[in-house]
Amino acid sequence: MRKHWMLYLMILPGIVYYLVFKYVPLMGSLIAFQNYQIFKGMLGSAWVGLDNFKFIFMYQDFYNVLRNTATIALFQLLFGFPAPIILALLFNEVRLMFAKRLMQSMFYLPHFLSWVVVGGIVFELLSNKGVVNMVRGWWGYEPILFMQEQAYFRTIVVLSGIWKEVGWGTIIYLAAITGINPNLYEAAVMDGANRWKQTLYITLPTLFPTILVLFLLNIGNFLELGFDQIYNLLTPMTYSVGDIIETYVYRAGVLQGQYSVTTAIGLFQSVIGFTLLWIFNRLARKTEQGLW
Amino acid sequence: MKITYGEKLFQIFNYVILAAAAATMLMPLVQLLAVSFSSPIAADSKQVFLLPVEFTTASWVHILQNKGLWTSFGITVYITVAGTLLSMLFSLLTAYPLSRKEFLVRKPIMLGIIITMIFNAPMIPFFLTVRELGLMNSLWSLILPGLIGTFNMIIIRTFFQGIPGELDDSARIDGCSDAGILFRIYLPLSKPVLATVSLFYAVGYWNTFQRAVLFIRDPNKWPLQMKLRAYLTSPEELAAVNLLLGDYAFNTTTLKAATILFATVPILLVYPYLQKYFVKGAMLGSLKE
Repeated sequence: MRKHWMLYLMILPGIVYYLVFKYVPLMGSLIAFQNYQIFKGMLGSAWVGLDNFKFIFMYQDFYNVLRNTATIALFQLLFGFPAPIILALLFNEVRLMFAKRLMQSMFYLPHFLSWVVVGGIVFELLSNKGVVNMVRGWWGYEPILFMQEQAYFRTIVVLSGIWKEVGWGTIIYLAAITGINPNLYEAAVMDGANRWKQTLYITLPTLFPTILVLFLLNIGNFLELGFDQIYNLLTPMTYSVGDIIETYVYRAGVLQGQYSVTTAIGLFQSVIGFTLLWIFNRLARKTEQGLW
Repeated sequence: MKITYGEKLFQIFNYVILAAAAATMLMPLVQLLAVSFSSPIAADSKQVFLLPVEFTTASWVHILQNKGLWTSFGITVYITVAGTLLSMLFSLLTAYPLSRKEFLVRKPIMLGIIITMIFNAPMIPFFLTVRELGLMNSLWSLILPGLIGTFNMIIIRTFFQGIPGELDDSARIDGCSDAGILFRIYLPLSKPVLATVSLFYAVGYWNTFQRAVLFIRDPNKWPLQMKLRAYLTSPEELAAVNLLLGDYAFNTTTLKAATILFATVPILLVYPYLQKYFVKGAMLGSLKE
């Protein structure tokens, strides 16, 4: 240990960072059990037990926000999660290397744009004067104000999410596909398997562990939809279907100062995420390796 | 290998589908570009598809004269450069000990770090912590709270672990210290991974939004994304300057298009150069288990 004192010195800044910006806020979650007063601070504020949680469970807004969050999360899982897997399988069938490379770099690009930019693009495309209504016009349809219609909000969230991240998501799967032993395919061809059968019986089963790990990581953050995306797509007209935990916590907590109550909501969200992760990890371990 | 009729059909179908989907990745940007170079009247009457109609650079001239936009641009450049450098330094200093077997506490520290990936602190305690530190309205609030991206740090650590141990044995015999090994041996060997992780950090800082929403209340200190968001939600402000100039019709559609692209151009410029690296980096990150 003495010989490597420098290593211990080097890690100090990192440890300070994790303590200050990760562990202190984690400890700070305890204000969910307090009647937190900004001027008294955490040490001076009164402890109220589970009062804040009782309060949110009696609160109509909370159920509305929770329902929105869970619905969007479910749709994202249902459509957003399989999208990169399917895309990776389709990429795998492309034999022209240059075409594959070119298309891949096109698919990766949106990942690097901010949600403000993507939100701006979505609003412009779907506006009254936007290209979608322009195309609808060619077919003689009346323009629709998509961003202000509650019926379209969740679809727009899921589709814009897929647009932004589907290409990036394929990277992991393509890496796993590259690792498959070519002998397996040759053997399958000998047995008379066509491409479809090869995909079904070799590629997909080999991808399964990767899919499982990513699924578990996903489920752990089930209710965390990402503040940036929703905040940049939401309008007052779509609050009733689009206001999620994170945007609500921002408005009620940061802007209106209801610190304890919104921390309770945040803690509730984390607990749900961890519980789901724990349950699915147990299920996964029955068939394959789980996360732990 | 013989190709059946069905497979051939699938191949054609596959190329068409993928090419069409790939095109939709670029088309919105091309369309915005066309709108931004079109006349306001053409843009508002739904004539502009992928090519400008009644070509004009007026929107670009207008937004490029917007001081507020340039101030925010400068702030974003500043936090991107300073933030990326600081993040890289902190990440390297953390990743290196964690990659060394001689570092006896690496397992408990690693566990402590992984825990922060599973248990995210809720937004409010995070907000209060940063506020308690006196970082409200300070550009440091855009950098410090995200100084180390755990995922990025693990990418570097994984790469370091792959460097053969004989290298540092021989360096040690030559009298090299741990810091010397990191900076003289490991860094030159890690250029591709350093480029990748720097890109990830830089893009992260360039796109910083949530932290700015939380911590920067002073509009004069808004980074580019916040400014962009403000202009997109109230385009009158964006157009206001040209009422003073008086040489350009009040039009928000073309101005919005130009502003969105303005915030995106730098990323579009570096993208082709860094592309060869980032796929490798993203894969390294995925193999952390």
